[in-house]
Amino acid sequence: MTDRKPVYLMTPALAWLTAFMVVPCLLILALAFFRRGIYGGIVYEFTLSNIALVFDPLYARIFLKSAGIAGLAATIAVVIGYAAAYAIASMPRKRQPILLFFAVLPFWSNYLVRTYAWIVLLNREGLIVSLARAVGFDGDLPQMLYTETAVVIGLVYNYLPFVILACYAPLSRLNPEIHEASRDLGASEWTTFRRVTLPMTVPGIATGFVFVFVLSIGNFVTPALLGGGQFQMIGNLIYDQFLTANDWPFGAALSMFLIAIMMGLLTLQTFASEKASGQQRAEVSDD
Amino acid sequence: MTSTLLSLANIEKRFGELRAVNGVSLDIRENEFFALLGASGSGKTTLLRMLAGFDMPSSGHILLDGHDISQVPPNHRPVNLMFQSYALFPHMTVAQNIAYGLEMEKLPRTEINERVDEMLSTIQLTHLAERKPEQLSGGQRQRVALGRALVKRPRLLLLDEPLGALDKKLRGEMQLELKHIQNTFGITFIVVTHDQEEALVMADRIAILKDGELLQCGSPHEIYEYPVNRFAADFIGVMNFLPARVDSGALRAVNGSRIAAPLPADLKPGDNALAAVRPERLRLGVADADNCLNGRISAMAYHGLDLHLHLETPVSPHPVMVRLTADAAEGHPFSVGEEVSVGWSARDTRVFTA
Ligand SMILES: Nc1ncnc2c1ncn2[C@@H]1O[C@H](COP(=O)(O)OP(=O)(O)OP(=O)(O)O)[C@@H](O)[C@H]1O
Ligand SMILES: [Mg+2]
Repeated sequence: MTDRKPVYLMTPALAWLTAFMVVPCLLILALAFFRRGIYGGIVYEFTLSNIALVFDPLYARIFLKSAGIAGLAATIAVVIGYAAAYAIASMPRKRQPILLFFAVLPFWSNYLVRTYAWIVLLNREGLIVSLARAVGFDGDLPQMLYTETAVVIGLVYNYLPFVILACYAPLSRLNPEIHEASRDLGASEWTTFRRVTLPMTVPGIATGFVFVFVLSIGNFVTPALLGGGQFQMIGNLIYDQFLTANDWPFGAALSMFLIAIMMGLLTLQTFASEKASGQQRAEVSDD
Repeated sequence: MTSTLLSLANIEKRFGELRAVNGVSLDIRENEFFALLGASGSGKTTLLRMLAGFDMPSSGHILLDGHDISQVPPNHRPVNLMFQSYALFPHMTVAQNIAYGLEMEKLPRTEINERVDEMLSTIQLTHLAERKPEQLSGGQRQRVALGRALVKRPRLLLLDEPLGALDKKLRGEMQLELKHIQNTFGITFIVVTHDQEEALVMADRIAILKDGELLQCGSPHEIYEYPVNRFAADFIGVMNFLPARVDSGALRAVNGSRIAAPLPADLKPGDNALAAVRPERLRLGVADADNCLNGRISAMAYHGLDLHLHLETPVSPHPVMVRLTADAAEGHPFSVGEEVSVGWSARDTRVFTA
């Protein structure tokens, strides 16, 4: 028997994505294999030099630093976000939607506005400094704005709602009796968390982490605004190639690597949650 | 007589206005197979959850071996619960599920492995030890849940509808197996069920709960033969109720005929009462019976071992059920609409306040 699923309903979305997303992206990426003209522009002559340049220690270091910052931001976001999601999922069912709403509320405001708000907070004359002065602190405060820390804070803040949502989903689906079974068998609250709750919600953590990582590593707004002019992440580097240096082929080569990293991570994460959803299903059918 | 293991003293659990468990007092003995029987919502799970330690009683005390455990958290009670939903850990294999409780006791690895292997063979799942719960059938999951709780050798094992999710045939087998396992391990079992037949088959003693209150507690025989009131009588097995009135030392049915029965002392002349008799106590013919009844067959059901007749009678608004053994029904080609006479003895009649 054939399984008739309305696959054709996907056609408009697929067509849209292919025409306006996949094709332009491929066209840009193809530029990576051509030479840059002396005054910018593209000379249609095959070369691998752009690709090779990506591995130049200068640029490789920026890649590594971006990955480091993205990894740090993702880790912090996951820790904070998981704790928040855990707290929300432990509340009475009726109150959970409103708490979730508040958790993701900042998300509905403009990204730039949110990031500028942090400038106001971290400034030399900003809110945090004023607050410290107001409570009587008059020692030297470290520079906060235009540092790597500021970038990490900005990234964590911006993507936290993603993590809360991603972790809340599996947490709220847990059968409370599984938790009780663990307690009944002699486990403390902490052991129950470590051996039962946490392993069963790893898919949510992985999703949250990969999302924040992928969005952070390519981000160029936050590093530019909170990291200051000379602070460069891979997103800024690409931005510069296309808009200032006018070196489209090298920009395309950098983009290609960035996209490859993102795709790799997203694929891994999809497989991981595929595998885990089998376990979730088993648990649901237990009810 | 064996000693008391668990004492419930006036346990009460309120959820807001609702009294889910209301003043239950019970003694459960060492090595007993005890059944908690009650309709849906009668408070069985609530009571079990208090014994396991997930909920605290609103008032009253739970004594285990003479110690009040009402406030002891679940992980510090020598009590284990087999959940109605099984609640297996989906990310662990069968063997890991069973080992979990032993790991919590910080036993040496070799002993854990030994006891897990032993339990796997007891529940006949050795060949599936490395499977995840999702790869098991319902009956196999039920065994894992049982094994996981049993391997800890608790003083008291609580089982919430352990056979509820199984089909009828498997249920029958598992009833006997549960009883066998309880016997070999010598652990006190409290089994919750809403299946009265299951309770009768398995339990040493049964407690009937209704709306959070304890109706009656006793051996299956006591519960079946001597129900304390009409609710208990109605709950267990099938019972025919005949409305009646007490009239100067005798019981009279609605049509005025006398019902021979032992009268409880608290019934006074003029009181309304219910005479009750089990379908299998009714016999064909009236020759030497204390009570007799004529009725018209309104329905028949053949069950192989026995034949059930529904009689329309002048003494009851409901059909009177008669259960004849295959032997007794032999040679009577009954048909719907036929008039028959049945009789029963005074001894087999119970009388309750209406
Ligand atoms: N957490 C709770 N909050 C409020 N009411 C509850 C709670 N738990 C149970 N109840 C109520 O207490 C009563 C007894 O419930 P309980 O689950 O003990 O019944 P049960 O005998 O186990 O029924 P079943 O056979 O359907 O499992 C029900 O009316 C139920 O709605
Ligand atoms: Mg229940």
